[in-house]
Amino acid sequence: SVTEIRSGFTAIKANIQARDPIRTLSILSHPHSLHKVKASDRCCITHQLFTFYVDKVFKHCKTEDSYVNRKISSIANSFLSVKRKLRQCHEQNKCMCGQESTEKFKQILANYEGLNVTSAAIKSLGELDILLDWMDKSR
Amino acid sequence: EDALLPAPQNISILSTNMKHFLAWSPVIVQGETVRYSVEFQGEYEREYANESWIPICECSLITATVCNITEDISATVAYNLRVRADVGARRSEWGTLKGFFNRITTSLTPPLMKVIADGYHLLVELEDMGPAFQFCVLYWKKGQESRMQQKVVKEVSSVVHLDTMEAGPDYCVKAQTYVEAINRSSSFSQTQCVRAQGGRSMWL
Repeated sequence: SVTEIRSGFTAIKANIQARDPIRTLSILSHPHSLHKVKASDRCCITHQLFTFYVDKVFKHCKTEDSYVNRKISSIANSFLSVKRKLRQCHEQNKCMCGQESTEKFKQILANYEGLNVTSAAIKSLGELDILLDWMDKSR
Repeated sequence: EDALLPAPQNISILSTNMKHFLAWSPVIVQGETVRYSVEFQGEYEREYANESWIPICECSLITATVCNITEDISATVAYNLRVRADVGARRSEWGTLKGFFNRITTSLTPPLMKVIADGYHLLVELEDMGPAFQFCVLYWKKGQESRMQQKVVKEVSSVVHLDTMEAGPDYCVKAQTYVEAINRSSSFSQTQCVRAQGGRSMWL
C-alpha cells in the first residue's frame, strides 16, 4: 500500500538523496510540477509513473548498503502490487490518458534520459516523496 | 573429503496477524555448531531484477532455526524464501520454501478486547496490533441485535468510547480486525456484555 511505500522510503530518503549530487535538476517537477496535472489525467499519470519506476528506476538503484537494498526491494514490490491494481483500472477504461498526461510523461522521460542511468535512477528514487505527496493530495 | 553438508529441510512459514516467520529443521553435525543464512526474493526481483536474491542480515550465520522476515515481506506479492547451512568452511546448498509465500495468507485472529462500563459510558480497550490493523467494533443493547451499531477504529488509542448507556439493560460488544493492505478481516471476538450501574464499573 502507499502507506508502506512511504514508510519504506522515509527509512532511506536521507541516504538516497545524499547520493544525488545534481541539485539543480528534477526528474518529476521540471518544468512543471505534478500539481498542474488535471484531475482527469491523474490516474493515467500515476499508472505511467508506477510503470516507469518498476521498469526503469529500481533496477539501477542497487547500493553497497544491504539495509538500503532491502528497503528498495520492499518499495519496488509494493510498487508492483499497486501497479497491478492501476493496470486493472486502465483495462476497464477508468484510467484514460489525455493529451496533457501524455505530454507530461514524455517530459519526465526526457528529464530521465538526459542523465546517465545510475544518476537518473537515484535521483528519481530520491524524488519519490514528490510523487507520494502529490498522490496524497490528489486523493 | 568432507561429506557434503545437507541443506536445511522442512522449511515452512508461520504467519499470524501480519507477523511472518521462516522456520526449518536443524541440520545435525555431531560436535559442531551449524549456522544458517536466509535470503528472500520478491516478485519484483523475479520479474525485473534477474531473479536476484536479497540476504536478511539479521538472519545471516545464526544458530536459531527460525527467522523473523516480517520487515522484508512488506508488499502483497509472492515471495520466494531460502536458507542454507554453514559449518566452518563447509556450506550446504540452499533449501528453498516449497511454493511462494504471499502475506495475503496470514492468519488473522480476533482482537483481544476488554469492555468497560464506566458509569454510564460504554468503553472498549483494544489490543494494539500494529499500524497495519484497524478494528470494526459492533455494539448493541442485549435483545436488540437488529439495532446493532458499528464503530471503525483506525488507530488504537488507550480506550475507545462507544456509547452512553441507559441504566438497566445490558450492552454487548464484539470486535474484529481489518487489514487494509491485504483487504481481509479476522473473525469476531467473543461477545462481552456490561451494564451501567450508577457511578460504579460493572463487568459481567
